[in-house]
Amino acid sequence: MLRESMQSSGREVDVAQVTRGFGEAAEVPHAAALAEFAEAVVVRDAARIAAARARLRAVLGPEGLVDAAATAAAFHGFVRLADAIGIPYTTAARGQDVPELREAAGINAFHRVRGDA
Amino acid sequence: MGGSIFDGCEVPVRADLAESHERAWTAIAAPGTWLTGARRVAIAAEVRRARECALCAEVKAALSPGAVRGAHDTAGALTEAEVELVHRVVADPGRLSERWAQSVLARGLAEGEYVEIVGVVAMVMIMDACTRALGLPDRALPAPLDGASSGYRPPGAKKQAAWLPLVEPEDAVEADGPMYPSPKAGYIYRALSLVPQSLRDYWALASCHYLPGDVVYQFDRTIRAISRPQTEVIAARVSALHQCVY
Repeated sequence: MLRESMQSSGREVDVAQVTRGFGEAAEVPHAAALAEFAEAVVVRDAARIAAARARLRAVLGPEGLVDAAATAAAFHGFVRLADAIGIPYTTAARGQDVPELREAAGINAFHRVRGDA
Repeated sequence: MGGSIFDGCEVPVRADLAESHERAWTAIAAPGTWLTGARRVAIAAEVRRARECALCAEVKAALSPGAVRGAHDTAGALTEAEVELVHRVVADPGRLSERWAQSVLARGLAEGEYVEIVGVVAMVMIMDACTRALGLPDRALPAPLDGASSGYRPPGAKKQAAWLPLVEPEDAVEADGPMYPSPKAGYIYRALSLVPQSLRDYWALASCHYLPGDVVYQFDRTIRAISRPQTEVIAARVSALHQCVY
């Protein structure tokens, strides 16, 4: 979905950042701050969340912060639906997530793909 | 409506998002298709308990989740199978397997119960993550509402593509009620389709947080205050940290 959203505006993204992390030089504006916020919410570190939230609010404004929080929250649900019901992942993003893309993104190292869960 | 959990937030929260939380908590408190309101609220409580469970932390740290034995730190209101389902889905969703899912069902859970529990867990995870992200405490759990569960099972449900039965869009019948934004709805939309009311409750909440179904594949359009690529950076990082392939 990230790749598709970038391609819609004629740009490319290094999908390895999905697993490696997004640096300051990422192609998406404020990607490093967005990723840090997402990571802090996942690990439930209140101090880290507060710092990341302040940084995001400064660059995105209050409405942007709310939508960043809402998006991070939404994927706490999606991942659980997908992984608890065992839906097929080969059709994700309408079949756009082909094996080559999963390999480039580092997703083929995930437990479900390796079959070692 | 009275005050919302977002009233104390440092930034204004859009009304549809706040309303989606209130609707979702009301839905969780109400009788479901397979579970009573009391059991659904007990599941919500167990979700929060699982975040602090020592066994779950040990399982997540282990090379193999099956190698760790012990008892979950539970509030005590649910069966052993329900507790295992809630805790593993909360704490280590990226290492669930079909064999594990079948083992949970074999301990006495019906397929509809399993799916409904997963729906409640996912909703609570969304709402608690959202408030946490905005610096707010967990909302107090609602009081359960009385009433009987319906026991409705869609006649078109079949186990084929996933570990649990799904209702493919072409197999949905009028009695199921509305389920899909499009006949091409992806598997993530179909995941809870064995329990149509859970599917509707989940998506009413999730769409307000991410994007509605009719916008998801319009990559050049954004209806949020962040761009679509920015939305997807967050989505991708949260998914990757959960080891979610989807």
